[in-house]
Amino acid sequence: MTIAGAHAGAMTGLRRLISTAMARDLTAFVLPGASVARSMGLDLAGSPLRIVGTPRHANLLIVVGPLPPGLRDAAAVTYAQMPRPRAILALGAGDIAPLPDADVSAPLTRAGLRSGLADLRRVIAAGAFRADSGEFNAPALEVRVEYTCPMHPEIVRDAPGDCPKCGMTLVPRETASDGHGGHGGHVMPREDRPNPADHAHAGHAQDAGGSGAYICPMHPEVISDAPGKCPKCGMNLAKAEEVESHGHGHGHGHASHAPSAHGDHAGQDDKAGGSGAYTCPMHPEVISDAPGKCPKCGMNLVKAEEVESHGPGHGHGHGDHGGYGKQQDHSGHDGHAGHGGHSKAAIDGIEPHFMSMVEMTKDQPRSSDGLQMDWIKVPFGPFFPGLPAGLRLTLTLDGDTVAASDATSLVGATDLMDGPQMRVADFVERLATMMPLSPVSYRALACAAIEVAAGVEPDHDARRGRAAAVERERIASHLNWLAEFGLQSGFLWLAARAGALQLAVQGADVAGIATQAGAIRRLSRRVQAAPLMRMRLRRIARIGKDAPASGPVDRARGGGSDARTGDPTLKDLGFEMRVRNGGDALARLRLRCDEIAQSLDVIAAAGRIAVPQVPDVDRVSGEGEARIETPRGTASLRVKLANGKVVEADLDTPTDVNIALVETVTAQQELGDALSAVASLDLSPWEVRG
Amino acid sequence: MSILVVLLSLAAGAYALAVIERWAVHGHLSLTGPAWAALALMGRESLLARKSDRLFFELGPVLLLVAGLMAVAVIPLAPGLIITDLATGALFLNAALAYVLVALIMAGWGPNGAYAMIAGWRFLGQFIAYAMLIVMPITAVAMRAESLSTVEIVASQAQLWNVLYQPVGFVLFVVAAMGLAWLPPLDLPDATGELAGGVEAEYTGVRLAVLRLARMVIILALAGATVTFYLGGWLGPWLPPWAWSAIKILAVAASMLSVGRYMPRIREARYLALSWKLGISLALANIFVVGVIALVVPI
Repeated sequence: MTIAGAHAGAMTGLRRLISTAMARDLTAFVLPGASVARSMGLDLAGSPLRIVGTPRHANLLIVVGPLPPGLRDAAAVTYAQMPRPRAILALGAGDIAPLPDADVSAPLTRAGLRSGLADLRRVIAAGAFRADSGEFNAPALEVRVEYTCPMHPEIVRDAPGDCPKCGMTLVPRETASDGHGGHGGHVMPREDRPNPADHAHAGHAQDAGGSGAYICPMHPEVISDAPGKCPKCGMNLAKAEEVESHGHGHGHGHASHAPSAHGDHAGQDDKAGGSGAYTCPMHPEVISDAPGKCPKCGMNLVKAEEVESHGPGHGHGHGDHGGYGKQQDHSGHDGHAGHGGHSKAAIDGIEPHFMSMVEMTKDQPRSSDGLQMDWIKVPFGPFFPGLPAGLRLTLTLDGDTVAASDATSLVGATDLMDGPQMRVADFVERLATMMPLSPVSYRALACAAIEVAAGVEPDHDARRGRAAAVERERIASHLNWLAEFGLQSGFLWLAARAGALQLAVQGADVAGIATQAGAIRRLSRRVQAAPLMRMRLRRIARIGKDAPASGPVDRARGGGSDARTGDPTLKDLGFEMRVRNGGDALARLRLRCDEIAQSLDVIAAAGRIAVPQVPDVDRVSGEGEARIETPRGTASLRVKLANGKVVEADLDTPTDVNIALVETVTAQQELGDALSAVASLDLSPWEVRG
Repeated sequence: MSILVVLLSLAAGAYALAVIERWAVHGHLSLTGPAWAALALMGRESLLARKSDRLFFELGPVLLLVAGLMAVAVIPLAPGLIITDLATGALFLNAALAYVLVALIMAGWGPNGAYAMIAGWRFLGQFIAYAMLIVMPITAVAMRAESLSTVEIVASQAQLWNVLYQPVGFVLFVVAAMGLAWLPPLDLPDATGELAGGVEAEYTGVRLAVLRLARMVIILALAGATVTFYLGGWLGPWLPPWAWSAIKILAVAASMLSVGRYMPRIREARYLALSWKLGISLALANIFVVGVIALVVPI
């Protein structure tokens, strides 16, 4: 009996000891995320395992609850990024394909987690190694090959061909298939197979050291015994020694570094002097009377006048290109939107047309300071520690400053109805399970909307109990946010403490909450007074008065939207809307702490907590709308009942409003600040409808 | 002989630090935990990212370890218990630690991953922020001892430890040391919540074990340097000198490891601004004040 992700190798005595060590030292990566696990009542932090922030450091993948279809592919990528031996523990997960079958499955309860971990230990200790460990394959792991011009990176094609700008043959490069951020940022998974020759070391010229061999100056992996053309780019192959003697240890993307670029250039001005002559921008010794292609590199020839201004200094300026060469080497640092920093071409002595960096980069985007730097597009999420699980944030980074951002939910937009009509109880249940981060609020919302539609009115006690249940969820949700913020900002004491309190509050009765109230109030005081806290959050993610925002994000900038203000039940319980000014991440933190305190008071005043009960509607028809203040803001639901069944439903959520703020709050921010900014919005990707 | 003793104490110290770090990060206090974790890492697949810069990727952790070991070589644990008592020990420590930057950039660039790369550059950006605040306080310490030898520096504190003689320098040095060892709240190059492990993000298996060990050695070296320069080294009543060294070094290392647990990570821009504007001015003032005291009241 071995685990599905066993490491290759027979079980020897030493490996048995190592397996025991692995079983004792479980390092887990949690899907969709630790915050979701806590909302579902799982105490992972209190379990005998360590939660890590990257799949590379994990030997256990814990899948908590049903894995939404939108996360399946990313989950497969995450799994592939884990080093073997790797195991999967599925807690109430059901179908998790394309992940392999879980090594241990258990119900989604605390007892299930305990027994599951115990089983898993046995399985790992016995079967972490297997002589013939199989490969893990999933469609999400396939890399797509696209073709790009070495000189014009903005030219990207699906098929091979010539560059429309300079005529060079496009070169292939690998990219991840679209939409599979996985854990994000990491290079695509790489199984370390026994044979290192497997690795595509594109661009290490030393690999091609065979004597007498011919290699492509651009593709050192192309080696041939005889002279000829490169099958990849069409350039003429050059003698290997020749390339090496230039000391370019790696395959420069620069045709300019082709061997003959040195030495031959003396006197080029004379040669290129004839009017009407055509010459190659890279090989000035190539002169032709008619337009055509360079016999050396295949580029389109240009009119000689264009190159006339060349100074004699050909060996120079190469230092400049070193960075470019490296970049090419590292083409896996994907998505260089622009090649920057080389725009010196107008200087005398450095041939302007030779590389024509001005030309090459003139259409590239520029940083706010006018400099050009490499822009890289980095995916964060959907399983990024410190960002909401299920959110995929793609940041285009200009240095470490965010030039553009895109936030997408991979888990939202589920249909509210699973058929043309639904029983009322099923509808309520469905809506509550759709929102794992605030199920009680959405249950209350569904019940309230149905009550309005059916014209029934809950009694006084039920209303108070329901209000208290929503307030309890608000406390738990804000604590969950604090825990996530603690994790993101490295404030680990906060992460541990807030997480533990969230688990204690969730599902507790009035007396239980009263016993935790002191600890919760102390926590919220201590968070606000922590050293460096003001410095970290002040003036981060400022939101003006006019941008649409909902919930705490709105109230922390002096806004007045709160669905609870008009509610007589809450008014009886002493509720008063809390507002902060400032509109930055610090104000949001403080406001959430204020709201926690307020909710504790409301619960104490209510005296009882009652999870909303599905109203008893008997074959009535009608329409109704209800609004409720969820922990993240105002949600409203319209339902249409026909004969006691729900036939139409329409939901507006706070995250739908707040997710639009991501672009504003991250623009031109340093990476860490941008992530703090996104976190401060407390988005729930499950709520995204649009 | 003394080399062997120092290396053995180094191993024991690194293990003790691993226990403390585990507590600070995961809240588990377990004496055997790091041993199992290290053993488990040995059996794990050691992945190599596709298109990695293999040389940099492999050498990064090793260079980090070498830098740490070289720094340890000039830390005296007791009279005579030092690997090499260089006349320029304090300067050598600096030189050795300069390679931490190189190692981290290599480790960041090598694996060809965005998180690691950003982390490596972040550390490069911080270079002046911590390096000046390591060198300038050491200058003031050497001024008082009138020597760069670490043994002499300890001996110079027989009357009064430097932590009281030049408290500003002490604070600056400790903060800079934490930045150099990228300890929270200055852990910008491996910020879990921002870069998912940063420079460590792509290392697995044995390579990760080496990287972690190297970091422990760096932390120990810096704690040792703090004790040597400011806390009187092996000096202390009743207990034997080596015991004082051990207690002080472990206490300093434990505080450096755990203080970050109670506050959020500093913002990079603020860190740079504070180090450059406030830190360097204070360090200059410290040198001036120490110089005046050394001339006027010789203790």
